[in-house]
Amino acid sequence: MANVKFENITFRYGQNTVLDNFSLEVESGKIVCLVGPSGCGKTTLVRCLLGLGKPETGSITVGERCLFDAKRRINVPAEKRNIGIVFQDYAVWPHMTVLENVSYPLKKQRRPKDEIHKRAMHALEQVHMTEYANHLPNQLSGGQQQRVAIARAIVVDSDVLVMDEPITNLDAKLREEMLLEIRMIQKRLGATILYITHDQQSALQLCDKMAIMEQDGTLCQYGTDDEIILRPANRFTFEFIGVSNFLPVMPSGSGFALDCGTLFPYDGEVPPQAQKGGYELGVRPNDVIFDNTSPIRAKVDSRVFLGSEYNYFLSVGDRQIRVQQSMLDARQRGTAAEGEEVGIRFLNTRFYPAKKGGQAA
Amino acid sequence: MSMKGYSGVSAELAAVDGRKRINMDKVMTGICFVLLLIIVVIPIVMIIYNAFFNEGRLEIEMFSTQMTDPKNLDAMFNTLKIAIGATVLGTIMGVFYAWLLGRSDIPAKGLMRALFNIPYMFPPFLGAMAWDMMFNGRSGYINKWLVSVFHLESMPININSVWGIIFVEVSYYFPFVFMQVVSALERMDPTLEESARIAGARQHQVIWKITLPLVKPAISAGALLILTTSLAHFGVPSILGYAKGIYTLPTRIYAVIYNSGGSFDGIRQGAALSVMLVIVVSLALILQNRILSAGSYDIIKGKSMRPTLIKLRGAKIPLFLLAIFTLVLIVIVPLVMIVLISFLKAYGLPLQFKNFTLAQYQKVFSANGTIDSIRNSLFASITAGVVCMFLGTLVAYVVQKIRPKGKEVLEVVSMLPYAIPGTVLSIGVILAWSGRIFGINLYNTIWIILVAYLARYLSFSMKTSSAALLQVHSSLEEAARVCGASHTEGLADITLPLIRPAMVSGFFLIFLPAMREVTTSILLYGPYTRTLGVQIYSLRDAGMIPQAAALATVAIGIIIVLNTIVTHVTKDRKGV
Repeated sequence: MANVKFENITFRYGQNTVLDNFSLEVESGKIVCLVGPSGCGKTTLVRCLLGLGKPETGSITVGERCLFDAKRRINVPAEKRNIGIVFQDYAVWPHMTVLENVSYPLKKQRRPKDEIHKRAMHALEQVHMTEYANHLPNQLSGGQQQRVAIARAIVVDSDVLVMDEPITNLDAKLREEMLLEIRMIQKRLGATILYITHDQQSALQLCDKMAIMEQDGTLCQYGTDDEIILRPANRFTFEFIGVSNFLPVMPSGSGFALDCGTLFPYDGEVPPQAQKGGYELGVRPNDVIFDNTSPIRAKVDSRVFLGSEYNYFLSVGDRQIRVQQSMLDARQRGTAAEGEEVGIRFLNTRFYPAKKGGQAA
Repeated sequence: MSMKGYSGVSAELAAVDGRKRINMDKVMTGICFVLLLIIVVIPIVMIIYNAFFNEGRLEIEMFSTQMTDPKNLDAMFNTLKIAIGATVLGTIMGVFYAWLLGRSDIPAKGLMRALFNIPYMFPPFLGAMAWDMMFNGRSGYINKWLVSVFHLESMPININSVWGIIFVEVSYYFPFVFMQVVSALERMDPTLEESARIAGARQHQVIWKITLPLVKPAISAGALLILTTSLAHFGVPSILGYAKGIYTLPTRIYAVIYNSGGSFDGIRQGAALSVMLVIVVSLALILQNRILSAGSYDIIKGKSMRPTLIKLRGAKIPLFLLAIFTLVLIVIVPLVMIVLISFLKAYGLPLQFKNFTLAQYQKVFSANGTIDSIRNSLFASITAGVVCMFLGTLVAYVVQKIRPKGKEVLEVVSMLPYAIPGTVLSIGVILAWSGRIFGINLYNTIWIILVAYLARYLSFSMKTSSAALLQVHSSLEEAARVCGASHTEGLADITLPLIRPAMVSGFFLIFLPAMREVTTSILLYGPYTRTLGVQIYSLRDAGMIPQAAALATVAIGIIIVLNTIVTHVTKDRKGV
């Protein structure tokens, strides 16, 4: 169990700068999700941590131990870093049985034979795979191979456990199960887990804390999940972490208006920086409510009932927005029918500079 | 992450632990460059140098004389005619039978598949020997029989012609296309064809518009193999063409050197002709690339599918008989002919029981030369197979995983001998290793044959290992590193075991053809270093045809036994 500290990491592939002066500190004993779109440098960062890639600048420390420091010319080889990894493609060795796979890290530590067997079987027990100990990986399903990879990663007491999109290849149900299981394993081991994903949904389910990376490899927010949901640091986080609607705001007369082809007067509060125009109002689908007294008029394009909520697409002028109405709200305020014209109001609004060609997502 | 992200991995791994001990990756890269320099680059440089320079001075004269010599030009045109003829006909035949066995409901498919691979194992020059026995323009057995039965004025078929050579080459080279296309057809996603049918295409339209274009890369690869093999081929044209003065460039090179008694001038002329042959091969490759530029389609899946079979209906039995007839014609008939001749007391006697004897086998086995030749062939092929297996894997690993600067050079150099005819390679090897470099003289020893085999077959093992390494995702070795294995341990525990089956099949891919090799060894053998192929060739050349046939029978026996062993060894692969 240890904290992980990246400081000023710069990494390039040729001309292409993947990480530029990247810093992040992951607290000990937490599950931290590193979330970002594909190609933002998450995997590169982890490879640097594992010793599979060598950054140009910066340092990496795990606990008290420095694994990499460009200035002091420290670079601990991959095999001596004591970090567990579950690769995206599992990397379960196809020529070894499940037990041989899981025993391998212990063998490399030159442990006595009976200890190896005992600990490997214990690791398999934790992922419920003991009965498959003598199977070859090609006799296992994707989810089972996944568990073997996890068992192999936890069989030695690593300081940190890294999981690189380990569940993307599983079906929805199995994914849910694996997430729960990873949580359980973390509780049992108390390990620091760095979990990498581009899927914010599984990140929300799993993590204690989240680190959001932007496409260009910069860290844009680090915090607990509710912090990130409720107080997104910028437009990128707001958009990335859930469904979002955007409508342009502009000054109109003495007040403000939403510019959706036609102008709708907007009587809500507008922060000073957004008052000169060029900003957009961002709002989550479940923060849009029906209110026929509102001057903002919309037409219901479609309505889908999803069991616990209604999902609408509304046309506001030439813009389309998405609205989620909970059952509670539907009972209190009533639902809107397809084709109906309704008035809408926005709660929890945010204002971000408009993107070029920006549209409601 | 982009693919690029994983590419430089091992290089970086090397950098990571490079400071402390000797960098294994650099050592491996270095070994590759040095070995390829010795095995491949030096012989090729020696050919070019000797074709244009004499005793250190530029001398174009010899080269231009050779280039304009009508005999050589004639040989060049013959080479092209034969190669193009064999490629076109062999490709048509290969594709036809591949489709018939891969996609139609022809009976006894499994057996037929196995049988259609036999011509591939059958040494073409033995086939040529058999056909010469049957249809020689002057003394062919079947020719003579036809003359006496039908009271003909002259021999009806003359196999000693360009068309004869093309026929024999097609018989033994069409499997190159056949095998490629059959496996492509089997791996093709059947829904691609089915959707065309659903979209309203007729059966024959589907074949022309969907199936053929999709397997075009496989056809192209097979055709390329026929083309380069035929251009470089020595055995068939020399056995069938010599008597009538029909030369191709490889046989012409052999004749020039043979007639000069192996003198340096003769070898230099051979070098000039080699340059000519290499030019022809390169031109043919460019031409082939233009005509059949292979698109890369990803729709061919790796796993095998069950393709929809096309019903032949009324044509089923006739086509089945045609396939059987083809097999009988190109495999059984020549085989029977060779075996029959091997029992004859003397060549030319009628094939009747009273003329049969076992004396030829006795002679063959009591002669020292025979046993020596079998031993030489075994030694050279096994050694070449083992060395190439490791070296080819090393080169493949360096090119694929270490990716040093200049890996393209490495790749091209190791694949070069694939496009360079065996005859040319032998001349390079002679020029390089007969005392001119560091006084190393291997001429007339088995080592010079071995060196030539190494150069010639390295690309075979490199290709198979390369393909296998592509399947081994770098994360497998990285996972081992993270689990506490050093770079060397990761290589030994993970990567090598995973590509071991490919290495083994790479070995056999070299060992089997090397056992029956003639093209390279014919220029390199010394008094005590004849190989099996050379021994058969020279027995026949010396007019001892029944003895040659006896040894050929033995050789075919050895090949069949070895092949059976190979199929058993490589059948079950654990895990991978």
